[in-house]
Amino acid sequence: MAAAESSPLTTHVLNTSDGVPGTKMALSLHRLDTKLMIWTMLSVGTTNEDGRCPGLISREAFTPGMYKLRFETGSYWESLGQPSFYPYVEVVFSISDPGKKFHLPLLMSRFSYSTYRGS
Amino acid sequence: MSAFRLQQLKGHILSENKITTMSGSPSPLTTHVLNTAMGVPGSNVSLKLYRQDLSTSVWQLITTGVTNNDGRCPGLITPQLFTSGVYKMHFETAQYWASMGETSFYPYVEIVFTINDPGQKYHIPLLLSRFSYSTYRGS
Repeated sequence: MAAAESSPLTTHVLNTSDGVPGTKMALSLHRLDTKLMIWTMLSVGTTNEDGRCPGLISREAFTPGMYKLRFETGSYWESLGQPSFYPYVEVVFSISDPGKKFHLPLLMSRFSYSTYRGS
Repeated sequence: MSAFRLQQLKGHILSENKITTMSGSPSPLTTHVLNTAMGVPGSNVSLKLYRQDLSTSVWQLITTGVTNNDGRCPGLITPQLFTSGVYKMHFETAQYWASMGETSFYPYVEIVFTINDPGQKYHIPLLLSRFSYSTYRGS
């Protein structure tokens, strides 16, 4: 996990059912290798008490391309003793200008989720 | 060969449901694409339905289709084929925005969901803009 300088890509998981951050959720960031057409895992992490996961990627590693954030939502709801409709959530997005900041929140309940491009 | 390439080849070989006409009994699984940016149905959106093979974990293509003028795609699957398992809906969203001359943040949207009780009806809408989307389990 990249350390000191803040990641140009951030996320925030919110449990909209309970009105709390989605804490201790495992997630991973992947980039598509366009030559081999396979996903390469770049980092793995777990959301903190605020539902965030700092240090997803370093500015240097954040090159233009297709990325995927995978959230282990199924495991999260299971740990709360509740079944959910989605075994996991994957958000695939394109980065053409890696000089900007990208914030990808995930608002989720057991039977719904939404995401948007924030800053 | 890569898993991706293998998937492509399997898609050509295995017979799949290509939706061209309304099917007999209504599909227990339905979708509805809505363009929330413009307040209109998402029509002409290409989509695919997959089921995950229980033993190999490979995604099997079940249906390809295109949403109609109302953003819907009847005939996704028959009650007989709709067994318990993990399914995936793949929506060609960037293609949809590109057809209107617009870029978008997401090259495509995939929604993976678990069906434990195939006797029920499941409605998987996709509310979509160029920089956001949401989905929920409806009926």
